[in-house]
Amino acid sequence: MRSAGLLFAYSLKRVRTLVITTGLLLAALQLVLIFVAGSIQRSGGFDQLAALLPPFARQLLGPSVATFMSFSGIVCLGYFELAVMGALIALAVTLATTPASEVEIGFMDLILARSLARHWIITRTIALTVVVSAFMLALMVAGTWTGLRLFAPQGVEWPSARLVNSLAVNLGMLTLCWGGVAMAIGAASRRRSVAGGAAGLLALAAFLLDYVARLWQPAEKIAWLSPFRYYNPFDLITGNALPFKNLAVLGAITLVGFAAAYVLFARRDISH
Amino acid sequence: MAVNNLSLDAIQGEILGFLGLNGAGKTTTIRILLDLLRPNRGNAFILGHDCQSDGLRARLNIGYLPGEMGIYSDLTGREVLNLLAGLSGHVINMSRRGELQERLEFPTSDLRRRLREYSTGMKRKLGLIQAFQTDPMILILDEPTEGLDPLMQESFYKLLEDVKQRGRTVFMSSHVLSEVERVCDRIALVRKGELVLLSNVEELRKLAARQVRVHFAEDVPGPRSWNLKVEGPLGPLLRTIATLPVQDIEIEEPKLEDVILKYYRDGAK
Repeated sequence: MRSAGLLFAYSLKRVRTLVITTGLLLAALQLVLIFVAGSIQRSGGFDQLAALLPPFARQLLGPSVATFMSFSGIVCLGYFELAVMGALIALAVTLATTPASEVEIGFMDLILARSLARHWIITRTIALTVVVSAFMLALMVAGTWTGLRLFAPQGVEWPSARLVNSLAVNLGMLTLCWGGVAMAIGAASRRRSVAGGAAGLLALAAFLLDYVARLWQPAEKIAWLSPFRYYNPFDLITGNALPFKNLAVLGAITLVGFAAAYVLFARRDISH
Repeated sequence: MAVNNLSLDAIQGEILGFLGLNGAGKTTTIRILLDLLRPNRGNAFILGHDCQSDGLRARLNIGYLPGEMGIYSDLTGREVLNLLAGLSGHVINMSRRGELQERLEFPTSDLRRRLREYSTGMKRKLGLIQAFQTDPMILILDEPTEGLDPLMQESFYKLLEDVKQRGRTVFMSSHVLSEVERVCDRIALVRKGELVLLSNVEELRKLAARQVRVHFAEDVPGPRSWNLKVEGPLGPLLRTIATLPVQDIEIEEPKLEDVILKYYRDGAK
């Protein structure tokens, strides 16, 4: 247990610059978004913006279009903006494929030559992915509240704490879901690039499937296969409660990924 | 199949040299001992513990030096040593580490540098320090002198002698036959994954042919200088030439390398 703790601390130390930089960038993005939303609010430009939306975007947003095209909606954009989701998922995939990287460079030989059970490698990786993902979202939420205090115009309605937390939790679960998928692939791989690339391609395919299904009815039949289907920020923005089903599905995928990683890593040969 | 029908024991307190050509199965065998690879059948044991089913106990008292030190280059030497000692579950013995640094001429200031600044030899020394620093009962060393300069090789051989005197067992793979001849008590030779030789170094040396040069003072049948390879006792040869006008005789010590190379060549055929 002590050895596993040491390995976790070492792994966290190695990624600290990446994690802190990404976290600060994401938090800064929240500040920028709120600053921009405040400017639009002051100039009364939200109605004009809504009118400029192309039809496909209206179809995508559905009934949430009015809510989205508001100060509160733009503030929430930081939780489902493509670059933000991509950064979080990329970070989770990177962390989740740490074992593949350690196998690739040969460091795993030195670790496992010690009296350390293989399951600690996966437990360490899970802890790393969960802690870092939670830290990222905590920084984003902190950025949101800091931004609101600094840049929100007087009298404008802020998004509720419940909405911000719901978005953060659902986004966090989506991030962990891809972390679980990447971990399962990484536990059986010799190369981080292969594991990360495969997980990244899967994520891209799943995202496109969800995106297409929102615009093209026939694709709706298989859209349930995409984990992105279980993160619907527009529902949350319109005031709906955080759907337990979505969290359960994302949580289940995550757990299956973690379990598969334990099994695959325990059974594999370590060779680089 | 990388390793097949390989059966050997290392005796406590000995240095067992594990030899073979590239791809013969040396590293595969080491990886099975460390439970990095799982054999289809058969068992490996360390201090009575099955390396696969009881691997944690088997690896509790091992020091391992891999053929290549796979370490993230952004770590400092000290971080590497502390981490690997910590993962072993042992308390870091700083005086032991200091002694190893001194013997391998590895200054403490170098431990503060990142590995990306290390030369191949320095990485090798760091690898040796991490393997020896917890004073393990068993040392598994894969090509330990690869990248070390001759002076450091000498220091390493003395280090091996010391650990052997303290009852530690060393299992080392090597390509350097002179090194094996010098430091090992026994030799195990693998060829195409199978053990083809397991012998005491002294006994093996006796199998080697001696190079004998005889110079005659006068003409004899054949040339006036004979270059002979003699396997076994020299008595019959000495009796034969005793009647001839011998001016000088040179007898070279038998070389272990000759025997081992013969095994290698036979394998090549």
